[in-house]
Amino acid sequence: MVDRRQFMRGAALGALAFTVGGAQVLLTPRAARAQGVPFRLLQAREAETLEALGETLVPGARAAGVAHFIDHQISVPPEEALLEARILNVRPPYANFYRAAIGALDKATAAQADQRFASLPAPAQRELVNVMRQGKLQGWQGPPQGFVYFVLRSDAVDVVYGTVEGYEALGVPYQAHIMPLKRW
Amino acid sequence: MATREKVDVVVVGAGASGSVFAATLAKAGKKVVVLETGPDWQLSDLISSDFWGRRIKAAGAPFLLEGKNPFGYSYQSGWGVGGAALHYFANFPRLLPNDFKMKSEHGRGLDWPISYRDVAPYYDKVAQDVGVSGDAKAEEPWRPAGKPYPMPPMKTFRHGDVWVKACAEHGIRLVPACVGMNSTEYKGRAACIYDGWCHVGCPTGALSNPIVTYLGEARSKGAEVRAFSTVTRVLTNKESTKVTGVEYYDAQQQRHVQPASVVVLAAWSAQNPRLLLNSATPRHAKGLANASGLVGKYMMCHFASGTWALFDEDVQNHMGTTGAQFMSYDRYSKTAHKGAFGSTFIVAGSALKTSDLGGFANARVDLFGPELHAFMKRAARGLTRLNAFGEELPNIENRVELATEKDPYGMPLGRIVHSFDEDAAGVWNANFEEGLKIAKSAGAQETWSGRGAMPTIHLMGGTIMGTSAKNSVVNSYGQTHELANLYVAGPGIFPTAGASNPTYTIFALSLRGAEQLAAKWSSLVA
Repeated sequence: MVDRRQFMRGAALGALAFTVGGAQVLLTPRAARAQGVPFRLLQAREAETLEALGETLVPGARAAGVAHFIDHQISVPPEEALLEARILNVRPPYANFYRAAIGALDKATAAQADQRFASLPAPAQRELVNVMRQGKLQGWQGPPQGFVYFVLRSDAVDVVYGTVEGYEALGVPYQAHIMPLKRW
Repeated sequence: MATREKVDVVVVGAGASGSVFAATLAKAGKKVVVLETGPDWQLSDLISSDFWGRRIKAAGAPFLLEGKNPFGYSYQSGWGVGGAALHYFANFPRLLPNDFKMKSEHGRGLDWPISYRDVAPYYDKVAQDVGVSGDAKAEEPWRPAGKPYPMPPMKTFRHGDVWVKACAEHGIRLVPACVGMNSTEYKGRAACIYDGWCHVGCPTGALSNPIVTYLGEARSKGAEVRAFSTVTRVLTNKESTKVTGVEYYDAQQQRHVQPASVVVLAAWSAQNPRLLLNSATPRHAKGLANASGLVGKYMMCHFASGTWALFDEDVQNHMGTTGAQFMSYDRYSKTAHKGAFGSTFIVAGSALKTSDLGGFANARVDLFGPELHAFMKRAARGLTRLNAFGEELPNIENRVELATEKDPYGMPLGRIVHSFDEDAAGVWNANFEEGLKIAKSAGAQETWSGRGAMPTIHLMGGTIMGTSAKNSVVNSYGQTHELANLYVAGPGIFPTAGASNPTYTIFALSLRGAEQLAAKWSSLVA
């Protein structure tokens, strides 16, 4: 548990505040997922879809906590959000965009394969994403497919490659002036 | 509702232009209040992270985006003190003489009511004020001579150097980029350490953001900055012959009136017209200062043609600055490209990060899964980019207008309608073609064009300057033609866009306007 001063410092330095057992703790999305922190807004099925899509887009995104990251960010005031959606002119509340995107993907997948996206085998998920990327997924009803691909891919890139660990994995020096807390 | 104590000047917006007005007028002994809709960021808030850097970008009431090429503004605009200049790249190319006389010389676009000669002394002053690094002599083949920059050029790295010879082979001279950054310690501010985090805000003071330059100076001279203060209307006297202050809402959504002798609108190119249109009175039924009907009209932007080159060597692309190491005006003539019209400004050698819009993950947006990871590994060592910025011509159909939907304060949302014309598309395509030829000459292992949706960069226009209320909103100082004590500042007053990054010109024009305001103060407020 963190006190107010630690919380504010942590927030300023880059960790996200998650609620665990009724208390706010500073965690990375990866740690939040590993600890099974409950989602704030996402339903379990929505989170499954996000994790499956994120993992298809960027290997490692599931374990890096892509769903916890998005869930956290759509629950905070839009002016505090760290999502790439914010700089892509997505109109707040951002939850509306993500819910529409998840729903469109699952419905289009069900129309084609009679299953939800998360239930498909990895090769089929990959093929669907490739079609979606080109805006050619039949039965899609939601934000433009290519844009959904771009935004969700960006989220997955953020949690896998945008962190200090992500830079290390690529062999890129991070070179921070002000280092994010908790290697995030 | 609270009516605050009357001040000499209320400045709406604490970004690049508002900071200059605030500093200049505070130094002249005026009581200045700056109202800023976002937070009062400190340098310690500027975390080196692409995630956390998004906190200083657009928030608040959204603009509705329409047209064939909707204007994507949220990456470039700011939120909070410093505005967009808190996260700008600090590329400081200036406009050139041909930008000011487009109509006269080509029968296209518009003329400015002033020439390059009128602005040049202010470029020199700003360079001294904020600290600029570059090689003025190297630029002089393209522009009249001026004063040297106060600091020598920045260091260069391999990912910039690889472009120099290749560009020369195609008749493009690359010279050291002129930047608002410290190549050496300057005025007590540290020299740059080339870590490439400029785009999320530089906390060291090496980059000339307003916090460490004009806004800091304004505060030191007594200007008050009120954060979380959202202005909704400019107020006038009963006769609507002069402005009397502004209405704004604080963080608790309480309404205030801030009386002032002079109002300076320095909010943003799209927000200033929104405010003027929302401040209509019976005498100014179409909006304040809008006798011409041009408030919100002639919105313009830049567009970029990025060419990627992947080398089989470590080009140190993590080092340097987000902006550029080199620049060239060799395609700046309005007719540089056959069959297209408009200037091109070329830069090379931007430091790259992994994520965010400018990160190297987006150099190949078609890749995902294991193929993306393989690309990321290679790009981390060998990727670099040549970028050509193009000029969009002023088009009256590109505009900001009020929507029927309202924000939480009851103010109509703004709508930006924007479409590129054939000239812009022609310049964009020509720059891709030339960029690819240059990249192939550079000896890269792979080269490709970074094509996607045509990007919209640097919103300008909407309150353009001109010679009278018949053809413009403001004069060359930013003073509105119709209300002598109402000023507009920022790139909104540009009548043409050029192809150069606008902030150096924003600083220069704002300084020119603010000095004029201070000089004629007694006649203005009498």
